[in-house]
Amino acid sequence: MNSAKQPASGNPTHIRIPENTLSEMLHAMTPAGADDADLYMQYSESESLALEEGRVKHVSSSTHQGIGARVIKGEAAGHAYTDCLEPAALMDTARAARAIASETGSRAPVALHAAAPAHQLYRPQHPAMHAPMAGRKALLERLDGFARSLDPRVKQVFANVSCSFSDIRIVRMDGAEAHDVRPLVRLNISVVVEQNGKRETGSAGGGGRFGLDRMLDGEEAERLTREAVRLALLNLDAIAAPAGPMPVVLGPGWPGILLHEAIGHGLEGDFNRKKTSAFSGRIGQQVAARGVTVVDDGTIAERRGSLNFDDEGTPSERTVLIEDGILTGYLQDRQNARLMGMQPTGNGRRESYAHPVLPRMTNTFMLAGQDSPDDILGSLKRGIYAVNFGGGQVDITSGKFVFTTSEAYLVEDGRIQAPVKGATLIGDGPSVLTRVSMIGNDLELDPGVGTCGKDGQSVPVGVGLPTLRIDELIVGGSEA
Amino acid sequence: MSDLTALSAQLIEMAGKAGAHSADALSIADSSDALRVRHSKIESVEHEDSRGIGLRAFVEKQGANGKQLAFASASTSDVSDDGLARLVGQVMAMAQISEADPDAVPPLGAEHPDAQQLAEWHKHHACDASPWQFDAARDAALACEEAALEHSSRISNSEGAESGFGRLRVAYASSDGFAAGYEKTSASLSVSVIAGKDDGMQRDYAWDRQLSAETLRRPEVIGREAAQRTISRLGASGLASGSMPVVFEPRVATSLLGHLASAVNGRAVLQQRSFLADALGSPLFPAFVGISDDPDHPMGLGNRLFDGEGSRCKRLQLIENGSLTSFLTDRYAAGRLKTMPGGHARRGLTGDIGIGCSNLIMQEGTITQQDMLQDIGNGLLVCELIGFGVNGVTGDYSRGASGFLIEQGRITRPVQEITLAGNLKEMFRGIRHVGSDLTWFGSMAVPSIAIDGMTVAGQG
Repeated sequence: MNSAKQPASGNPTHIRIPENTLSEMLHAMTPAGADDADLYMQYSESESLALEEGRVKHVSSSTHQGIGARVIKGEAAGHAYTDCLEPAALMDTARAARAIASETGSRAPVALHAAAPAHQLYRPQHPAMHAPMAGRKALLERLDGFARSLDPRVKQVFANVSCSFSDIRIVRMDGAEAHDVRPLVRLNISVVVEQNGKRETGSAGGGGRFGLDRMLDGEEAERLTREAVRLALLNLDAIAAPAGPMPVVLGPGWPGILLHEAIGHGLEGDFNRKKTSAFSGRIGQQVAARGVTVVDDGTIAERRGSLNFDDEGTPSERTVLIEDGILTGYLQDRQNARLMGMQPTGNGRRESYAHPVLPRMTNTFMLAGQDSPDDILGSLKRGIYAVNFGGGQVDITSGKFVFTTSEAYLVEDGRIQAPVKGATLIGDGPSVLTRVSMIGNDLELDPGVGTCGKDGQSVPVGVGLPTLRIDELIVGGSEA
Repeated sequence: MSDLTALSAQLIEMAGKAGAHSADALSIADSSDALRVRHSKIESVEHEDSRGIGLRAFVEKQGANGKQLAFASASTSDVSDDGLARLVGQVMAMAQISEADPDAVPPLGAEHPDAQQLAEWHKHHACDASPWQFDAARDAALACEEAALEHSSRISNSEGAESGFGRLRVAYASSDGFAAGYEKTSASLSVSVIAGKDDGMQRDYAWDRQLSAETLRRPEVIGREAAQRTISRLGASGLASGSMPVVFEPRVATSLLGHLASAVNGRAVLQQRSFLADALGSPLFPAFVGISDDPDHPMGLGNRLFDGEGSRCKRLQLIENGSLTSFLTDRYAAGRLKTMPGGHARRGLTGDIGIGCSNLIMQEGTITQQDMLQDIGNGLLVCELIGFGVNGVTGDYSRGASGFLIEQGRITRPVQEITLAGNLKEMFRGIRHVGSDLTWFGSMAVPSIAIDGMTVAGQG
């Protein structure tokens, strides 16, 4: 059984492993010729309350703790994970991480010391500290009543409030120790509406790295509820979307998922080091229209995708990926940066201690341009105006990406004609931004709902976009 | 009784002492290894040991119409005495917050497997004692990647080959005295390679997953399949929009069964979040279509003796002669829908009990894929789908695709950057052929499926 103990007072604690045990583990796992090694300790708690049929009847929590040991040499990495914190199991884990090395000598032992302080982008405390469960339950009940009061066609309301905090300690090969406490909250509302036997659904959500009390107070929860009902009712009247290539205007905010899929993944260091990305070897080339600047910025206070430092202890950064149309940078973790002769950019992330580090995005968005949103929409002779999206996906190698509308309109002569049903838009990552012809002055970041999947690992991310006109994308409607 | 089963039973006892009306617990112990090679060198080695336990406890509450039950659930990876005590404390506190549900079904009196069924299961599903062999796994991955790289000079790069093995032990206990566990293993081998250069690069992959490493397809076979698939995509271009018949090859046809399973999920039906909520007994498919859920199949990675509520799992003919015979249910959904519980409760450590299939198997037809292409004449063969454009409430469907153009019954060229759109109800009804090429993918077995009249969008 494990030896971790609660502290006498205060928060539920991080994992307590004696310093000498950590030093011994590092010594045992790190061959003399290793390029890098680290220990990643994580203690996390999450809580969720969910309402359906007017009742908060799903209440759950989870507590997870464990340690990941990692050794890197050249292109190879050894990983071992355990949630058993007994000394013998820890040493077994350290030795298992060494499986990639044939040499028997170890690096000299190092003394642990604090890493240089990084950002303080969020409060290092449990997000539920000032939001007791009873208050969260009352919030969900209030939103249920509110949603039903908005329109009699609302038949079902689902509301979910969840929060987590993750206490992370990283000890690097040189003994530098970094510590971060990451709060995360999320509120989601979805409704089913019915009219003449026809059902539709709409949903909205928001969140970030802040205290849940902010969700309990204020108008944000009501605003999200109104949004979910509005979307569901809108979809009742949606007509089939057209099929084929046409100009598309994207609204500000969450449609930035375009950048995440079309650009961001293809610029992750691992794919480029291995030359498997459609963007491989293209730094310095024009990959977007003039005026297009895209950044990945993990340093924005309280955003869902932000991190004080990444999961390798590198402080997060603002990385310019595309500057005025020219490809300027990749997203790097330590291993891929080293192999490519570049600097890490604070993008080494892992879902948990039990997953390997991969280069991942944080908050990815396009900077604002000069055009007014009205002028951009007005320029559309016949096309689609897409304001809200569900998920997206990309084939890194061919560069083909998709994202699916959840609120979109058919536009003719600059005027909105009718809402259209959800349609998948498909395009080519390396060329789609060369077809950008107007960039709005209205950059918005998304409300804090993004989750990115890669190699089976999920991490929270953010996106953002100003209103944007793309002269051609293929719209996957059913109206050929 | 194994250590895990004892752990689950111990937790039930603790919950009872803490005042729970009833409780059930699920313990999971997972041990897994994976090894990846790239360009004939080891790139990554992973080893994981994890263990956790989830508890669901019910408490009685006084409601307007008498006593009702509320519940809460929690999980932890800290299985020390302190950790378990904390878990019970959390669950009991949360159950006080949770609202009572008049239809709540406590974990008492489920139709559990009996001692003989347990013994039979363990006899027929014996797991290999020493399954992960580093050298054998490495050699398989190396051979798999080599076969792919050497298949053709047009293979230009590799994303690597991966061998994996996992052993999962599950134990369940409930307040009615039932406590039992079972073990399962899975072995996998996969490879992904790249052909072509620069703008014309294409990637594809092949994989297999079986109960043991011995039954995996040979590494060379998997490697060659990945190489052939990748090369065949070289030179892919667009396709003009239009309405046409579409053949889903088995590996993408699995997604259609997945959409069906989501739509007949009893919970989604109760919540009116399914386009099939009113479809019970109606002919969803042509009469030649049959689909079953089989929890005990020699090929099935989804095999299970009992579900997440300890209910014995039984074979279900979900679609019979094209008609929907039943929704998928746990005990709660069965009670509300007034049917027999289906043994489809799906449960992980964290969160609520969900509903899901064991092994979903489509009955194969008699026509080969080649004859299918001949019959449809002009259309599309789909080999990959991307994106999430499926609306479960309306059945509206729009996803990104790539594959091959079919002209006069033959594959003529690879196509990409296209979308497929339709509505799942019409797609199910519009199935023209079900192929003879039934293929297993872990816990699903599906042949090629031809569907009439889908809308393809693209640029040709």
